[in-house]
Amino acid sequence: MVTGGLLEKVLQSADFAGFSAGWHEADVVPTGFAPLDRLLPAGGVRRGSLVEWLSSGEASGATALAAAVACRLAGDADHAGDSSSTIVVVDRKGRFYPPAVLGWLERARVAGRPVPRLVVARPAHEADEVWAIDQALRCHGVAAVVAWPAGIHSTAMRRWQLAARASLAVGMFMRPLAAQREPSWAEARVAVSARPGGSAGVRWLRLSLAGGPWAGESQMQERSVDVGLDLARGCAATSGPTSPAQPSSAPRILERERMACRAS
Amino acid sequence: MSRIMTIWLPRWPVQRRLIESPALRKVPVFICRRERRGVMTIVSWAWVLPPRSVPVHAGERRAAPRIPPGMSLAEGMAVLALAHGSRACQMAEIAADDPAADRAALERLARYSRRFAPIVALEDVERPECIHIDVTGTAGFFGGEEALVHTAVWTLAARGIHARVAIADTPGAAWAAAHHTEQLDDRHRLPPFRRPRRFAVVPPGGQAAALAALPASALRLDAAVLAALREVGIDSIGGILKLSRNSLASRFSPTLAVRLAQFTGARAEPLAPTFDEELPRSAQAFDVPMSLREMGEDAVAAILERLVLRCMSPLTARGEGVTSLQVRFEQWAGAVEREPTPPVVIDVGLYRPSVAVRHVVELVRLRMSRVRLPREIEGVAVEVVATAPALCRQRTLFAAERESAAAEVGMLFDRLAGRLGTKAVFEPQVVNDAQPEHAWLGVPPGGQSGRMTRVHGSGSGSATTQGRQAVPAERRPIWMLARPVPLDVMAVVPAVADAGRPPVRFRWSGEAHEVTVAHGPERIETAWWRGPIVRRDYYVVETQTGERFWIFRRLKDGGWFLHGVFA
Repeated sequence: MVTGGLLEKVLQSADFAGFSAGWHEADVVPTGFAPLDRLLPAGGVRRGSLVEWLSSGEASGATALAAAVACRLAGDADHAGDSSSTIVVVDRKGRFYPPAVLGWLERARVAGRPVPRLVVARPAHEADEVWAIDQALRCHGVAAVVAWPAGIHSTAMRRWQLAARASLAVGMFMRPLAAQREPSWAEARVAVSARPGGSAGVRWLRLSLAGGPWAGESQMQERSVDVGLDLARGCAATSGPTSPAQPSSAPRILERERMACRAS
Repeated sequence: MSRIMTIWLPRWPVQRRLIESPALRKVPVFICRRERRGVMTIVSWAWVLPPRSVPVHAGERRAAPRIPPGMSLAEGMAVLALAHGSRACQMAEIAADDPAADRAALERLARYSRRFAPIVALEDVERPECIHIDVTGTAGFFGGEEALVHTAVWTLAARGIHARVAIADTPGAAWAAAHHTEQLDDRHRLPPFRRPRRFAVVPPGGQAAALAALPASALRLDAAVLAALREVGIDSIGGILKLSRNSLASRFSPTLAVRLAQFTGARAEPLAPTFDEELPRSAQAFDVPMSLREMGEDAVAAILERLVLRCMSPLTARGEGVTSLQVRFEQWAGAVEREPTPPVVIDVGLYRPSVAVRHVVELVRLRMSRVRLPREIEGVAVEVVATAPALCRQRTLFAAERESAAAEVGMLFDRLAGRLGTKAVFEPQVVNDAQPEHAWLGVPPGGQSGRMTRVHGSGSGSATTQGRQAVPAERRPIWMLARPVPLDVMAVVPAVADAGRPPVRFRWSGEAHEVTVAHGPERIETAWWRGPIVRRDYYVVETQTGERFWIFRRLKDGGWFLHGVFA
């Protein structure tokens, strides 16, 4: 006989929801951010899963971190094979600014691998957005799908999860922290908040697991970590955070301005 | 009486380059041929979006520099520099002439133009720029001749192709009208009279009267004949028409009599399609009008699958795949005899040539969900509009058959573009442009097929490959607002003394943000030839909570704006 407590435990377990059944170790890809890998239960991002990045504010840096992880997934040699991988950005609000990310894809070229492709889809309606995410997640050859879905119906998310699992694409969804209370089919829900004190090219973020099937597991030693994001290259920063400084009284004239002045 | 529609594509060699590389629209493009002594002569040139600043007078438009074909490149550059400054010459793109590629692209466009009527031919000259279409009896399907020319112009314009279109009785008259749409009498212009006037309809039997004022060159005459006409003071078609036909042959070259006879219709000028082979088409007509709703989606899909399969079979045998397809649902006009009702047309474009019937049918169904279909139809027709060599691949013997990842990604782009629209799916590319709004452009993903699609965005510099950055990524936000948002800021000292310092506090989205660190300024200043001058000092500011924003100070008035968010 199954007691009520045991039944609840079974229902809440990761295996019941289909999160861990049939996975292989080879499907786990390190994110390139060691603290984040330690935080994630699988030791990295598992191909064919969904990850939610819950941000405390619009300018918290969650999107940049998710994009950096997506570039890492697309540039991974095991997945890229002979042809380059593709990142699909589903951007309904039309805010995504590609020049901030395109340079990060070049890291694959340095490593001697094909440069991943970045493709942007701009659906006009929410229904189209849900459909576009679903289609992209179903496609073999797509390494990651980055999107900002406003409200996700549980059924749609379950469909995305099954689609991702079939194609081994990874869904990266940026959502507000308030979405933490909503049910989710994501394998991991990472809360992201900005940390003051980075330099011009490095940004520090504080991450913690905010949910997902493994969020409550007792073996999780580390509940909150700091990661540094190198904004120029889209990878982990090496230097530590600095203390916040006051507004600069003598602003630095950048090289570009000098060139502009010289040209004029 | 036959009716001929002529589509003229001015400066086609340049247009072809612009279609292939949309980033060239904002720079002067010269197509040049190297002569024997190494001198480069200009075949064609254009500057689609020249600078709008420095107006000559209020209300006047700056005249484009006159650089005729045949001029040497050095002379052409000098003329350009006089008109727009030496900077324009530095920006100029110089490309080698490629007549074969120009002709091939024009033939592709001619095949595409068969959506207007089945008989299509290229202009019979060495370097054609015109497509003649026999629209006798078919204009009614588009709502009349005026609607047809309008549709033709804007169908091509939507694909980034500038065309001028005219309908007349003969190819010669249509050619003349298409080349001089702006000079035609108001009676033959179509409302609304917008500039540039790109279309004209010459009434049946009225070409002699309607086109009499056009210059003699509109008769497709060579320079020697035109010079001979000028010697006797004849410079218009009307002047030539007044001459006796007998005197023409004795006084001038026989070409003049031939061209005049072709213009008036006295001498036939049959259209000779030069395409290698017909593209397949397939149709099914019903005995009685069928209601689409009663038929159901599955039945319609089954019909489409059968028709598409019929079209695909000959292509597969030739090793080709379809890149553009048209489906027409013939509407039932009703029991009462009325004007023919135009069919509902669905165009499907693919980024990669495909031989997969189900994939093509799926794309048609995606488009059908976005189109208002007729209630009752009399038939369905499928026509292949463009093809390309299919990508061959080795089939595996034992492994489960699955499309390669690249092919699947190509099909994904087709599906996304089918439902979201071609402009909503793009591959961003960095452009060397200082102004952040124009620092990238979106091109159709894939790009290996000859599909002609307008780009997204508006970069002005030369496009670089994906990822090659003109500006370091750390200074650019991952979210950029469509338009900069004015900020309510608080500075330490009054605005006059505050030049060059970021604000200590600003309010955005209902929240107050305290600035703790600011990186910058990065001055972005555009030059006069870019139109309205942009002068901004950008800062990356970090707030007390660690959030980062991209704000700028407009140097013109000192106003502060939020332009991006480091999301």
